[in-house]
Amino acid sequence: MEPAPSSPGPPAPTRSGTGAAPALPPDAPDGTAAWARDLVKTYGQGETVVRALDGVDVDFRAAELTAIMGPSGSGKSTLMHCMAGLDSPTSGRVVIDGTEVSRLSQRRLTALRRTRIGFVFQSYNLVPTLTAAENITLPLDIARVPVDRAWFDEVVGAVGLGDRLHHRPSELSGGQQQRVACARALVSRPSVVFADEPTGNLDSRSSAEVLGFLRRSVDELGQTVVMVTHDPRAASYAHRVLFLTDGRITADLAAPTRRDILDTLGQAEED
Amino acid sequence: MLRVALRGVRAHLVRFVLSTLAVMLGVAFVVGTFTFRAMLSSTFDEIIATTLVADVYVRGAEEIDDSTTAGSTFGTPHSPVPVSLADTVAGVDGVARAVPDASGPIVLVAADGTAVTTSGPPSIGIAVGPDEPTVTLASGAWPVGPAEIALEESAASAADLTTGDTTTVVLAGAPQPVTVTGVFAIEAAAAGTILVGLDPATALATYAPDGTVPTISVYAAGDVSEEVLAERVAEVLPAGAESLTGEAVREEARQGVEQILGFIETFLLVFAAIALFVGAFIIANTFAMSVRERQREFALLRALGASPAQVFASILAQAVAVGVLGAATGVVLGRVLVSGLRAVFGSTGMELSGRVPLSATSVVVAISLGVLVSVVAAAVPGRRAALTPPVQAMHDDVAPDRGTGTRAVLGLVLTVLGAGLLVLASRLGSSASADPTGWALVDDLNPRVLLAVGASAALVGVLVLSPAIAGAVITVLAVPAVAAIRPLGRLARGNVTRSPRRTSNTAGALLIGMALVSATGVIAASTQASVRSIVDEQMRADYVVQGAAATGALPPGVTDAVTGLPAVGQALPLRLGTLDVDGEPSGATVVPPGFFTEALDAPVVEGDPDQALADGEAVVRRTAARDKGWAVGDSLTLTSDDGTRTQDVQVGAIIDTQVISSDLVLADATYADVGATEIPTYAVYVTAAPGTSTTELRAALTEAVKPFLVVSVLDREELANAAAAQVDQVLVILYALLGLSIVIALLGIVNTLALSIIERTREIGLLRAVGLGRLQLAGIITIESVLTAVYGTVLGVLTGIAIAAALPGVLAEQGLTSLAIPWGQVLAVLGLAVVIGLVASVWPGIRASRLPVLEAVTVD
Repeated sequence: MEPAPSSPGPPAPTRSGTGAAPALPPDAPDGTAAWARDLVKTYGQGETVVRALDGVDVDFRAAELTAIMGPSGSGKSTLMHCMAGLDSPTSGRVVIDGTEVSRLSQRRLTALRRTRIGFVFQSYNLVPTLTAAENITLPLDIARVPVDRAWFDEVVGAVGLGDRLHHRPSELSGGQQQRVACARALVSRPSVVFADEPTGNLDSRSSAEVLGFLRRSVDELGQTVVMVTHDPRAASYAHRVLFLTDGRITADLAAPTRRDILDTLGQAEED
Repeated sequence: MLRVALRGVRAHLVRFVLSTLAVMLGVAFVVGTFTFRAMLSSTFDEIIATTLVADVYVRGAEEIDDSTTAGSTFGTPHSPVPVSLADTVAGVDGVARAVPDASGPIVLVAADGTAVTTSGPPSIGIAVGPDEPTVTLASGAWPVGPAEIALEESAASAADLTTGDTTTVVLAGAPQPVTVTGVFAIEAAAAGTILVGLDPATALATYAPDGTVPTISVYAAGDVSEEVLAERVAEVLPAGAESLTGEAVREEARQGVEQILGFIETFLLVFAAIALFVGAFIIANTFAMSVRERQREFALLRALGASPAQVFASILAQAVAVGVLGAATGVVLGRVLVSGLRAVFGSTGMELSGRVPLSATSVVVAISLGVLVSVVAAAVPGRRAALTPPVQAMHDDVAPDRGTGTRAVLGLVLTVLGAGLLVLASRLGSSASADPTGWALVDDLNPRVLLAVGASAALVGVLVLSPAIAGAVITVLAVPAVAAIRPLGRLARGNVTRSPRRTSNTAGALLIGMALVSATGVIAASTQASVRSIVDEQMRADYVVQGAAATGALPPGVTDAVTGLPAVGQALPLRLGTLDVDGEPSGATVVPPGFFTEALDAPVVEGDPDQALADGEAVVRRTAARDKGWAVGDSLTLTSDDGTRTQDVQVGAIIDTQVISSDLVLADATYADVGATEIPTYAVYVTAAPGTSTTELRAALTEAVKPFLVVSVLDREELANAAAAQVDQVLVILYALLGLSIVIALLGIVNTLALSIIERTREIGLLRAVGLGRLQLAGIITIESVLTAVYGTVLGVLTGIAIAAALPGVLAEQGLTSLAIPWGQVLAVLGLAVVIGLVASVWPGIRASRLPVLEAVTVD
């Protein structure tokens, strides 16, 4: 196992204010897989307007597992949806692997999702009528791209599902299903994998399997993973943890322990 | 709970709209049928009330076989009475006038020089004049003498003729130039009949050449009741004639009409029932899916203390709402349909009664039907929903599809049973011997009943079996799609096969329609093939001269015109007469000796038919011989219709042909002893003279019949084609009627797709999130739709063909001797299934591709 890459980010723990002028240059530094500038997302109008994202600047570095944490309603899912092109921001820029997501047409977005982005959802990740193997290669099949057998075997080997490949989702445990979903997210070598509460429905043992795999996919396979979670234990697998409160990034921890995370969460609640 | 139920309908309106539509179409069909019948009924009532206006009618007392009368009168035809009897009757106290009723076929040439033809109703010449009470002069003058005619208004417009024009009519077989002297009106709608007015003397000379007429109309003078007058007239009548009150005759006519309309109504109601049955599938499917989808809602209600009965009642309430709404709109649509139909009939020259009656009874029946169908269809899924324990309902995302084991067994048993019955029916029907199986109990079964039961059992069996075989069959059907359209084909196949029960129910609606369509197609093709082979095998003559209207008799002069031609070797007229055989009214085919050598090579069961004719013996058909126990050498007592002449004739031969439809065939000379002198000729079989080519013969014949206008010369091929064309006409009507059930089945596919898309929202979101394009998503849904449609169609076509395959055995005696499967048509039906699938997927496909990805992913 390679050593965990050192965080090039600011020393941890620290708190960076938001709402100020962007501190980073418009084009992100090298080694950034995805980034956003002055991202704003509002819902509703007039009196009832809700600012789910209130000017977020963020960089997701390549070959890193980044966790986004925050209480319910903090905007963490919205941030992920906007980053992944599932939702369109009210204003601001989102760039994935050099492509400005916020300017793409629906058609281009669809193409981007199947080539550059991998998804793992909290539940209902698999198409019930397809086998595990078919589910894994689904994005490639949709894109009509031939499957890279070597990479496929590597990914499948890493998830540890070699003997379950021809089973239907209904014949797999929750943890196994989620690992299949992870393998699917990785099979097209995406620039970024977005995982939305990937362990939200799992027991602790299955959670550990899934999180271990996500971490290994970064460390061993060199993938980039962004994971939304509200579970400190899950976040502790990350190289870096971002904290969101009321639509702003309020903390940025590098390689935190579970204790660091709990402390930061505690501080956030006191604010 | 009622409020919850109704809110449920409102909240998921789209889901219920298609169910409502299905009920609406079925009910519209039912109401349309009732209303159409009522409209026809009132049309004919008007005709009867305005044409049968005499106070007393005199007619022969004997009923005669009606197979040869050209439908010129309503009710049962009776033997004729002498024209001279009118004078006797006119002398009775209280009689103002007694008029012999002379009317009959006529050919009217239109302004463009062609004969006026209609889609069915005949052209009839009637006596008109100032004394005729049923007609009034609209313009011009009444005709006087044989060179003048008057036209009924709609006939005048159909022929584009008016007062002062000259044209030609064919009267008693002789074309003659006439002048139109006037246009007259009748009180009733003519219902398409072309009425040509002749002066009464001409009408009598034309239509009563032998001095007899079917009836004499008697009009009362002053205040004499119909009953009293009828009694007085009866006193002066000779034996063999009877007098009836006008009301009795009108009633008899009405009953005759009602009987025919009853057949039409039953026929149409069968199709309405099919449509409703198919609709019930859709409703059951809708409720099954909506119940599954709302399991949590029901669980919540149960948790809040609602009893299973209350949940069940709330679902039934929704079913009632769907039923009432569908039926109410259906009633309106049905009425609109009939008005449209009336306009269509009107534009083709068939004026129908202006009233489109809508009786309270039919409305009540239709609405009850709609409600009943929806409630019955919703009851099964409703019961399941009511009995689901709340905890399970709260837990499960989607309840698993129940097993199909029991259904498979039941379906298989029914299918095999049905198939067995069909085979048995075919065996029994086609067997020559009286005891094909040797078991009296089985041999006595009616093959037609067996056929009906077997066909129903097979159809229901396949419907029941369908969920068990859907997976396997669709996997096979989907092979091209899976191979050609990756990965969409595979995804679509998975969606169709994951719930075999639902797919089967959806396809079931189409299965029924397609089974009937293909069975009909096979029957039609087999009939045409049979006709063709009969014509090929049995026709000896080179040409047949017959009326252009398939059922009409030839004008009387044709035989003479043809016989004299030098190109003609033999001209053998086939005439149809009536008589009593052993006291039973019967028709007889009357031909010259040599007919079975020169004209028709009828398969002989026993004896020599030509020799029998020459010896003055009767030739009988095999079926008649079997049914009546006639054998060669038996003696038959033939009696003329009026009962005055009797003769015993031996059965000389038994033949087995479908070309001749009456029980017995007599030589001209034999019939002349016991029958009327003037009987209509239906066809003349012609052979070429030695040394004359058929081409020359044809030219000569065509020239000879030209003056008769409506007579055609057909060779074997054309004869077969003419018969085939008739089958095609019937086929078009049947297809149109079955089309409705296919439209309803299409709605069912739309419905199922739309609902399954709602169910699969998250899955669709997932697919879109991992990069599935909108068009690709629509493609999946299209493939699903086509697979479902093709599945239902394949099963339906197979079932239909299997059922139809048993028919030649059962209906061999009706002339259906060979089985022909119209493969081209089967392919066309499969093509139609693809089209249905494509059409059905349009709206669900658009709906699915418009689902916002984010909402689909994050939906609860």
